[in-house]
Amino acid sequence: MFEKYPKEQRYTLAMLQDLQKEYGYIPREKLLELSQYLDIPLSKLYSIATFYKALSLTPKGKNTIKVCDGTACHIRSSKSLLDEIENTLGIKPGETTKDGKFSLEIVNCLGSCAIAPVMVINDKYYGKMTSSKVREILKEYGGADDE
Amino acid sequence: MKIIIDGIVCEAEKGEMLLKIARRNHIHIPTLCHSDALPGLGSCRLCVVEILDRGRRSVVTSCIYPVKNEIEVFTHSDKIKSIRRNLLMLLYARAPQNETIDRLRREYEVPDNIRFSGGKNEHCILCGLCVKACQELGTSAISTVNRGITKKVSTPYDEPSAQCIGCGSCAYVCPTNAIKIEEHNGVRTIWNKEFQLVRCARCGKPFATMEQLEFSRKKLGSDHIELLCESCKKAVTGEKLRDIYERV
Amino acid sequence: MMNRTVYVCCGTGCLANNSMDVYKELKRLIEEYEVDADVKTIVKSTGCNGLCEKGPLVKIEPDNICYSKVKASDAEEIVKKTLINGDIVNRLLIFDTAQGKKVISHKDTDFYKCQQKIALRNIGEIDPGNIDDYIERGGYEALRKVLFHMIPDDVISEIEKSGLRGRGGGGFPTGRKWRQCYSIDNFPKYVICNGDEGDPGAFMDRSILEGDPNTVIEGMIICAYSIKSHSGFIYIRDEYALALKNMDCALRQARERGYLGRNIMNSGFDFDIEIVRGGGAFVCGESTALMQSIEGNVGEPRAKYIHSVEKGLWGQPTVLNNVETWANIPEIIMKGSDWFNSIGTENSKGTKVFSLVGKVKNTGLVEIPMGTTLRELVFKIGGGIIGDRKFKAVQSGGPSGGCIPESLMDLPVDFDTLKNIGSMMGSGGMIVMDERTCMVDVARYYINFLSEESCGKCVACREGIKRMLEILTDICNGKGSEEDLDLLENLCHTVEEASLCGLGKTAPNPVLTTLKYFKDEYYAHIRDKRCPAGVCPELTEYEIDEKLCKSCGLCAKNCPASAIRGEKGKPYHINIESCVKCGNCIDSCRFNAVGVKKGARL
Repeated sequence: MFEKYPKEQRYTLAMLQDLQKEYGYIPREKLLELSQYLDIPLSKLYSIATFYKALSLTPKGKNTIKVCDGTACHIRSSKSLLDEIENTLGIKPGETTKDGKFSLEIVNCLGSCAIAPVMVINDKYYGKMTSSKVREILKEYGGADDE
Repeated sequence: MKIIIDGIVCEAEKGEMLLKIARRNHIHIPTLCHSDALPGLGSCRLCVVEILDRGRRSVVTSCIYPVKNEIEVFTHSDKIKSIRRNLLMLLYARAPQNETIDRLRREYEVPDNIRFSGGKNEHCILCGLCVKACQELGTSAISTVNRGITKKVSTPYDEPSAQCIGCGSCAYVCPTNAIKIEEHNGVRTIWNKEFQLVRCARCGKPFATMEQLEFSRKKLGSDHIELLCESCKKAVTGEKLRDIYERV
Repeated sequence: MMNRTVYVCCGTGCLANNSMDVYKELKRLIEEYEVDADVKTIVKSTGCNGLCEKGPLVKIEPDNICYSKVKASDAEEIVKKTLINGDIVNRLLIFDTAQGKKVISHKDTDFYKCQQKIALRNIGEIDPGNIDDYIERGGYEALRKVLFHMIPDDVISEIEKSGLRGRGGGGFPTGRKWRQCYSIDNFPKYVICNGDEGDPGAFMDRSILEGDPNTVIEGMIICAYSIKSHSGFIYIRDEYALALKNMDCALRQARERGYLGRNIMNSGFDFDIEIVRGGGAFVCGESTALMQSIEGNVGEPRAKYIHSVEKGLWGQPTVLNNVETWANIPEIIMKGSDWFNSIGTENSKGTKVFSLVGKVKNTGLVEIPMGTTLRELVFKIGGGIIGDRKFKAVQSGGPSGGCIPESLMDLPVDFDTLKNIGSMMGSGGMIVMDERTCMVDVARYYINFLSEESCGKCVACREGIKRMLEILTDICNGKGSEEDLDLLENLCHTVEEASLCGLGKTAPNPVLTTLKYFKDEYYAHIRDKRCPAGVCPELTEYEIDEKLCKSCGLCAKNCPASAIRGEKGKPYHINIESCVKCGNCIDSCRFNAVGVKKGARL
């Protein structure tokens, strides 16, 4: 997988992103492998992996819920949407449900401000969201733990 | 060329760092993240000063500001004093039990009852000197982790690092003594890793880790390791010199 | 007979509203119905048209018809009624509030009439995946002119004379930047496009990268020729999947046609561009952090005592400009600096693209000449506040900018004017706020954003923002004191003066402007323990005015916490204990019966 790029430090981020795409996160063994392949200290790769939010060192859930907290969505009450998801699934942003079904993230501006507030599950956009719509939509993906 | 710092005329080379010029002229500018061996971090912000350059006043970081024109510098104007006071208040809020920070905040008259919470056992101010030292050495066992207000310094996964040789350079260079080294019964513990200490062949004192000595041996490309502590090394060298003089 | 073209907007906003289904359905139906026709209708998917509020948009040329909020199920009617019979589907026309009637062409709305498109000139009119569309509209003619009829010095002089200033936020004179880099005798040199648009609420750069990637490419090649650079980078934020895809495709096509790579257009000049994908870090929009990121490091900025034009990427002379800045270059070369500097104000030439979002009716992307007033932007082009509520403020410049109150709305939009009132142009995000927006919460929101996005290297920004957030959160939770306001302002000045980079230096702007123009809201939170806008949960109580309530039950239906009870004939009632302060009830009520309790909270 690493062979796609020249063996240079400047492709570190690109390689890490490919790992992220392939595994849904960056497994420890792979980080070590990359460190040896590029001859870059593990600590530096670890620093990069924890700095950039596109990269994750812990596995994500089967479905990733992204709630937009861009300014337009924020003033159209993205917080109450987020609260409802948190209450329904029992997780906070950055966490994954115990059954591995859902991961929750806050993102900053998806560029769909006209349909604010916006929630994206995997790659599907849900616009003009209200907290009352949350449970029904989550059911499409298997619902919360207790359902 | 010449620049004026606090009314004093100082010689300066073009491109020289302002802090260096000030120090050379015995003008005091406080610093925390500056080290002559590892310059250029510019993270603690304490060394900020005001300059007047071709009619424009601005605040610059003296440890990384290269002097290009014949400027006038004010190292403790009211604005600078106010900035330093706030910076020390912020550092005190972060690490209220740290001696170095406490000493500095007293110097700048920051009261000890501040309205901010937290900072119980924190001593690190995230200056980055330890990371840079470890990097320059060639081990790179520690690095900065995360960003923003959760940024910290640690080994990968907060676990003992295979690259750490227990040399303690990080602790040595730390301005606030934030890195813990414990030595007990010939064992040194640092960054959650235990190292067996090697005893000096001459005086018997435990003085370095095996990993440290092996690392220097490899770097110097020599075949054997000299198992002498710093003071014994000096003593042995002194003896050798004495022998030479006596023979001559 | 001229070819009919149907343009379906596939900018990210419309895509999110299923415009791709509309495109596919129209294409399928047209093929079916025109299977025997001599001249077939072309269906193109385009980039963002700007009027996102009314999307998905479908334009039909040369008929000059524009349909709005089109669904895939409308496709058949459009094909049968309009394309075949030449009739208009009335219900799909845009309703122009200014004229109080439906209009056939989008060009008849104030939204479009007041605009002047330079950077956005091609978007919505071309298929970004097809370089021929770009070439058909004059694409790469500017490059031809530069390569064969101009010397580097001429090119830079034109850009200098045009008065173009950086569109990313800094507003630094572009020509001067190129001139400085040109004068450094140190090679290699690099050209970078900053596509790390991170301001929440801004999607101008996204639309250009998605909808007209070639204009950026052409702009960069022109610069490269003038400073003798042979290697360029386009840094695109990780979240912009479609922009990455479209730019990649455009680069490929440009290379195939000889507009990029070795011996461009047989001129002997070599230049190629590589895409670098961001990693999800707002701070990488800062030019020195961006360069660190390209080099394979964490995005930590450095002090700019030595400019990037002297020592930038890998310590080499580098010109870094924003997407929108690049998009202007080909037009300036073709139409001349005199043309460009005849538009705009004395110190801000040309046009600026703004993303008008928030509580405004016509949400979307607009390009207007510098000097247009804020009032015209928000009320004429924007159509005013949703629900005709009261305007409160417009925030410009994202987390580095400030809030502008009603009293300043007659000021012209330009770099220096905005800076003088404590805000800044920034990338061009304009967030419109109404009486239901709490300005203290807005300040807290931006500082919270920056607390996570700051690189964390320097004490002033990292610790300063942390404590500013602490104070603002306490104020929003009713735990603030009057001393907090002085301390907050004091901290703001330290963070402004002592931070290492632009992120830290401008972080206090939203706080300082809200403190300046909306101090009364801060006082209400602190002294009265009340949030006048009804946003901060700890300091808010909603109530139903019994005199206005019509017992329709809509509020109760939309309440996620089942906190509203009532029955027909009697006024409804909110149970304060169960209320989660989401505000759905206020937004649902058509009779203005639900509101924020006026009295002090107990």
